[in-house]
Formats: sequence, structure tokens, C-alpha cells
Amino acid sequence: MELDAIQKDALAEFGNIGAAHAATTLSQMLMSPIEMTVPEVQAVDIAELHNYISNEISAVVVFQIQGEVADGGYIVVSMPRETVIQLTNRMLGTTDADREINEMDQSAAIEIGNIMISAFLDATAELLDIVMLPSPPALAIDMAHAAFESIIAQMAGDVNDVLIFNTELTSEAPPVYGGIYLLPNAELMQQLFLMLKRLMEPLP
Amino acid sequence: MENNFFGEETAVILGMGELRVGTCPMGTIGLGSCIALILHDQRRSLAGLAHIMLPESHGNTDRPGKFADTAISVLLEEMEKFGSTKFSIAAIVVGGAKMFQFSADSLNIGERNAAVVKDLLQEQGIRIEYEEIGGKVGRSVYYWPEKKGRLIIKRADGTCIAL
Repeated sequence: MELDAIQKDALAEFGNIGAAHAATTLSQMLMSPIEMTVPEVQAVDIAELHNYISNEISAVVVFQIQGEVADGGYIVVSMPRETVIQLTNRMLGTTDADREINEMDQSAAIEIGNIMISAFLDATAELLDIVMLPSPPALAIDMAHAAFESIIAQMAGDVNDVLIFNTELTSEAPPVYGGIYLLPNAELMQQLFLMLKRLMEPLP
Repeated sequence: MENNFFGEETAVILGMGELRVGTCPMGTIGLGSCIALILHDQRRSLAGLAHIMLPESHGNTDRPGKFADTAISVLLEEMEKFGSTKFSIAAIVVGGAKMFQFSADSLNIGERNAAVVKDLLQEQGIRIEYEEIGGKVGRSVYYWPEKKGRLIIKRADGTCIAL
């Protein structure tokens, strides 16, 4: 799959709006500023995925995209273990950073994922004037690449590449770091292209 | 991601859906629901590794390593070119984890992957020398085909085994 410059731009803008809302929500929740990078959009061959997704132990929260775009693919929040512990500490007012992931961290990861992804899909769906809803979340605390494999296996039976939107969110205090990945399936992607093209057409 | 685990330049890291037959060290990193299938011919210090993603190809042949059925037949074919026979080949099966909690079965393809790989090996009459499948943990697999072969599995929970 090759993306031309216009498609890349349009998708990056789409991701930008979603990620900006997700970052704002996270920032409100933490009551501290959150920085975000402009999304990178890449069509990645599944055989190359291990060059893009790290092997670091992370909390990977996955949602299926539902709504008007039935079975539209997946949207994922991935945060390294240290970040999850930081965020839980922040929300509970605890300070122990040198510990294993516990059940509280798992609920916190799911909750944070839920709030950020709802904001992401809300904003982007509004832009496109359709309904996009996240499914209930699924969580894996493991090597990020291992978790992504299971998602990709669901999507890439017939195709050999996936479209990855990657936005990084960072904050100084508390030091957190995470990424949002959007993995649209072929139909959703076609729909996205059509709708974005329509948006960019000059008014008559 | 950079990986210096082998410390040797000839080592090959196989991504999802790739397969390789050779005498060089091979590995896969961050194995979740996928299966690392290693076929090893001790007499020839030869091995084949496939990073299998799904159980059935349904006639799809462009990436044989991606599916259990095509991966096994292509690995065998390639190894037979080097003179291996089914009787001299033993298999190692690693992976097929269930990565997600609180999720519908759709994200848990691992179990099915493992079952199909094992069935197919049995059908071909290939002995399984070692298996580590299922569970809830991601793994990295490294294999050195020389002589009896050397296997290292690093699990995401920090444990590691070497054979």
C-alpha cells in the first residue's frame, strides 16, 4: 500500500485532531500540561512491524472501532510500564514508583485508555460527521510487539500491510510517555479517504 | 528495535509472516499469538524458522510464512532441497499466547494457531522435540542451528530458558 502526499496529509490531520482531544483529556485528568507530536502516518508491512513497535513491557489497551463503521479496525493506547505506575500514583496520591504492575495499575491503564480513546473517536467522528464508538477495552501488560501481533492477526489475513498512526504524548511532571495507534481496516480506510477528500474540496 | 542479542552479524530476525531456512542463527522478537515454528535437522546443522500468524491460508500463497499450512510445507520443501528428510527433522513450537484479558475470543487466535501447527506436524509425521505454547506471556525466541541446536526463550515476565 502506497500513500500519496495528499492522503498522508489528510490522514495526519485527521489523527492530529483526534490526538489533540485525547491529549487535552489526559491533561485535564492529570492537571498538568501534556505535549504531543504531530502524528506520523505510515503504511507498515507486517514483516517490518518489529521495527516500529518496541519490545518494551507496556500496557497495551485495545478498542475495536464500532458504530457506523462496523468492524472498522482497532485503536490502541500503549504506555510503558513506568508510565502506568506514574499515572496510578498520580491519581491515587501514592509515591512508590519502584514496584510491579498491580491490579490498580491495570484498572488505571484501562480507564485512561478509555477516556483518551473516547475523546479521540468523538472528535474525529464529529469531523467526518459519522458515529464512531470504541468497543469495551481489552488490556495486555506485555511486550508491546507481542500484544500488537494479536491485533494484526485479526486484521491482516488478506493484506500484508497495516496503516499506523502514531502520536506520542509526553509530560514532564509526572514524567509520562505514551502512544496512540490507529489501525483502520481496508473499508474504514477507504471511507476515511473519501470523507477527507470531500472535506478538502473547495466550496461550490 | 535494535537487537544485539546474537552478537553476530549473520543472525536473522524474522518479522510476522516471514520464513527462512539456513544454517545461520535465527530469531523472532515479541512473539504473542503468533507461533515460532522451528524445524531442525541435527545432522546437517540446518534449521528453518517460520513466524506464523494465522492457522489457514485459504489458498493464499504470496506469503507462505504467514499461515501454518503453507509455512510447514514450504519449510519442508526448502529443507529437502538441502538433503533433509522428514525422519531427520524435529520440530520446536513456541508461542500462541493469549495476550488480552477482558476480551472477546476474537483477539485470542493463539490457541488455534498452536493447535493447527501441532496437528499439521503430526500429519507430516514430524516429531516435536520441544514445545512451549499458550499462556499469557509474550516471548522472544532465538535459535542456533549448529549441531544439536541451541534454543533460548526469553519471556516477557523476565524469565528465560536455554536448551
